[in-house]
Amino acid sequence: MAAIIRFNQVGFQYPKRESMFADLSLHIEQGQWVTIVGPNGSGKSTLTKLMNGLLAPRSGTIQIGGVTLDGHTVSDIHRRVGYLFQNPDNQFIAATVQDDMAFGMENRCLSQEEMQRRINQVSVELGIQDWLHRHPSSLSGGQKQRVAIAGLLVLDPEVMIWDEATSMLDEQARREFMTRMRQLRVERRLTIVSVTHDAEEIMASDRVLVIKDGKLVAGLTPMELFVQGELLQECCLRPPFAVELSLELRRRGVDVDICRDEEELVNALWPSCPVKS
Amino acid sequence: MMQSSKLVMGRYVEASSWVHRLDPRAKLVAMLLFLAAVISAHSLVELSTITVIALLILASSGIPLSRYGRASKPLWPLMFFMFLFYVLFEQGGSPLFEIGSFHVSSEGVLLGLSAVWRMLLLVCFTSILTFTTTPIELNLGLEAVLKPLKFIGVSPQQWTMMITIALRFIPTIFEEADRILKAQASRGADINDLKLAAKGKMLLTLLVPIIVGAFRRAEDLVQAMESRGYVLDRARTSLRVLKWQRIDSLFLIGFGMLLIFTFVM
Repeated sequence: MAAIIRFNQVGFQYPKRESMFADLSLHIEQGQWVTIVGPNGSGKSTLTKLMNGLLAPRSGTIQIGGVTLDGHTVSDIHRRVGYLFQNPDNQFIAATVQDDMAFGMENRCLSQEEMQRRINQVSVELGIQDWLHRHPSSLSGGQKQRVAIAGLLVLDPEVMIWDEATSMLDEQARREFMTRMRQLRVERRLTIVSVTHDAEEIMASDRVLVIKDGKLVAGLTPMELFVQGELLQECCLRPPFAVELSLELRRRGVDVDICRDEEELVNALWPSCPVKS
Repeated sequence: MMQSSKLVMGRYVEASSWVHRLDPRAKLVAMLLFLAAVISAHSLVELSTITVIALLILASSGIPLSRYGRASKPLWPLMFFMFLFYVLFEQGGSPLFEIGSFHVSSEGVLLGLSAVWRMLLLVCFTSILTFTTTPIELNLGLEAVLKPLKFIGVSPQQWTMMITIALRFIPTIFEEADRILKAQASRGADINDLKLAAKGKMLLTLLVPIIVGAFRRAEDLVQAMESRGYVLDRARTSLRVLKWQRIDSLFLIGFGMLLIFTFVM
């Protein structure tokens, strides 16, 4: 599979502050779901903002789908890389849901018919067709985040970045969000890059990049990450309950595989249970 | 939620009349023509012609006339003062009676009445603009009408973008204020229990977190706008396209004729 995002020796520094990244190289493959984790202030958000051109690197090159990011291509890259922010409240521009969905398309100078067509298509896809005329402030947190996704999907992006996009949602809304994103990812063949502290969200991804002190310290699968206690502690993460429990069981001598979720764990333990007859 | 929806819709009153369906550009320009006509009208004939036309349009807008009357309420003291001024200081015409050292004349009463009448006409009739046009439409109309200002270096697109964002964020910021007030009340500082001076002080302490919050929002918003492809002053299309119809032309021509009529008379 081809790399859709490629960083070559990228250096970045906020004005009047210490250097954030000095020589960062990484790549993300097309269609992958990649989670970025790391301690607070390690530069996770900065990294994702570099990916869609919101910030410009001081040195090195960033390529998105083979196109090198610079002043001329940044506009095209904004479209190809959708960015979902943490606070859904602060990313709405217009006073109704449909006007907000149109915002990105208006900037691309699409025709009115085309805009209407895409709004109809995406609103049905996300099940938001009944809210098109509502004001964003009358929606709940989960609904807002769904509308924000709609505003990105109408631009038909190839990559979707979530910057702690689920951190302000309640448990049910978060689950809904995850289910929807899994589905979208398959249907639209999206590449997903997410910044999160949520164990289940990390577990759902294909690969985890660990960023620390402006360096890429590890690139591994979620399962590999969750069994490395030290690395987890550095990133202020905890493994999902099922993983934690299976690790603890193994420590106490129960022969069980490390399981991703509760159901898997139950199925793994079931055969070894003594059955009373 | 009621409060925020009211703020968003401004003074818009929902009804389906031909006035509601008029193009906002036509309404905006017609209001200017109406303003000019009212100012240049002097005789009783002119004023009553304008009044009849205004009343006919107001009556057909599907909104009760009393609503327009209420719109002028904040200006009643000003109208009263204007009337008093004319009555007391205008000396022409035949004297009617005296109040102390002031001589009240028929001319003064007439001029006073016509000034109040004109003001009433203006306020009531221009309310039609905000009553029958949603803020979003009004904003679009404004952008179109202000387009000529581009030549003197003013960008109507920037102005309308500002209005759009204001329309979007006013309810959010009110909600935030409400939340902070409740948070303060839950810690024992209920604004409703305070005296006026203390109330003012409390509102001042409310301003700081709200302004700080607004700046934080603005920073996020700028990035959200940029990542969705907004570039300042670059050409963009619009989801909502205004449609100019024959009735809009007729509406404008009508007001143009009214203005000419007041000039000729």
